Amino acid sequence: MLRIFQRFWLVNWAEQWQYRANLLMYLLYWLVSPVVYLSVWITIANSQGSVNGMSANDFVTYYLTLLIVDQLTSDITIHILAYKIQDGTLSGDLLRPVHPILVNTLVNNIAFKALTFMALIPIWVVLVLLFRPDYSAVSWQSVLLALPGVAMGFGISFLLGATITCLAFWTTRVYSISEFYYALAVLFSGQFVPLPLMPRVIQAAAQYLPFQMMRYVPIETILNRLPLETVLRDYAIGLAWLAVAWLLFRFVWREGVRRFSAVGA
Amino acid sequence: MHTLRVLAALFKINLQMSLAYRADTLVNILLNLMWLGWELLGLSIIFSNTTQLAGWGIGEMIALMGVFRLVNMLMASLIWPNTEKFNTSIRDGSLDYTLLLPVNSLFLTTFSRMVIWRAWDLVLATALIVVGVNMSGGGATPLRLLSFMLLTGTGAMIIYSLWIVMIAATFWFVKFDNNVTILQALLDAGRYPANVYPVWLRMIVTFVVPIAVATTVPLQALRGELTFLQILLYLGVSLAAFVVASRIWKAGMKKYSGASS
Repeated sequence: MLRIFQRFWLVNWAEQWQYRANLLMYLLYWLVSPVVYLSVWITIANSQGSVNGMSANDFVTYYLTLLIVDQLTSDITIHILAYKIQDGTLSGDLLRPVHPILVNTLVNNIAFKALTFMALIPIWVVLVLLFRPDYSAVSWQSVLLALPGVAMGFGISFLLGATITCLAFWTTRVYSISEFYYALAVLFSGQFVPLPLMPRVIQAAAQYLPFQMMRYVPIETILNRLPLETVLRDYAIGLAWLAVAWLLFRFVWREGVRRFSAVGA
Repeated sequence: MHTLRVLAALFKINLQMSLAYRADTLVNILLNLMWLGWELLGLSIIFSNTTQLAGWGIGEMIALMGVFRLVNMLMASLIWPNTEKFNTSIRDGSLDYTLLLPVNSLFLTTFSRMVIWRAWDLVLATALIVVGVNMSGGGATPLRLLSFMLLTGTGAMIIYSLWIVMIAATFWFVKFDNNVTILQALLDAGRYPANVYPVWLRMIVTFVVPIAVATTVPLQALRGELTFLQILLYLGVSLAAFVVASRIWKAGMKKYSGASS
């Protein structure tokens, strides 16, 4: 099994490496909006001292940490797989004796992450020099405590992303559904603003939704801003969502493959 | 006159193509409305924590949202689809057929595809601008409104010119097919007034990829922050940008040798 993973790693790494120019563009694309929001909140915080108890530095550390956490927890399954279901080329993958999503797509996701990370680190260092965050609240314990959160965040977003992609077995095209899902994720994950600044209704809902594990909870854990009880409670909720996402994915995959008619193949 | 007739014909063709996917159009409009709600929510979150953003009130921010939507529409309805077609036509040589037609090649390459349902954005953008201007109080004199409209036009012209330069670059560097991604990447920075950004980012969105010229500047005119001389300057820059861009396009045309022949 390990050999299989190794093999898939080599193939996917080589595949992603081919697109390194695109990768830089992607990185730029995805970097702009956190920097924009960061600038907006710094401006407000500076003009009135603080926003809802958050100082300018709190925003800087939040969004700069977000860049890293977001990269770690995000998932690109829909871009790798949706077109394969759409045009029927998934048939080839189905013939192999390994799960196409849980092995090939997963490894591809990780290869993509590894590669973008190599490009992200120098850019991140430049941003740190430009924005000069004060990271003194971070300790190695807090980073360690956040690791399970990051892993859970990736697990949930990978499984939910795969579930949505598998809806293509029924609808053929899933880009509209995924756009809707993406909007929900941006709203409830804390991607746009740290959750405490949101209206109360959204905050209350976000607590019980899977999205906060993708950004907000790991970020705030790294920054040492959540009490331990809150972290543990959120982890418990995250774990429950991980199980739900797993069951959902299992169900959609099993029913979907049965329906799969390999359009055009 | 001739050009107008060609434009009308292109419009008709694109309309017919989009009518083939009616359900898709409906879904797209619904998603578009969802994002509008999303953006308004974002704005209300910002303004529930402050009364002004870098001196701008909520009315002005709504008007800015409208102008941003116009630029975004330009991007989604013309720039993306035509760039895609152009890149393909360079690679497989079908640009030859475009060049054979008795119409200006630059016009034909930049207007032959239109995403028709995006015209909907025009309605939303106008509504946002009208509401925003009304909310921002009585500051808008007819003269300011006029310069606002004028500068919205020049901003769009500058973006259009930059786009021409970007796709013309493909004549020299064939493997340059994510030419407009950088434009799209920085587009998000147009959602907020440029004076929010740190100096380096402000420089980029003003001089390198002048998104701010198309979004912040018209609003500055509406707020009465621009002198007559500055307005004239933007007008001149946009005309110059277009002239330079079409020169570059012509030079590129000379360089082009066709992929199929």
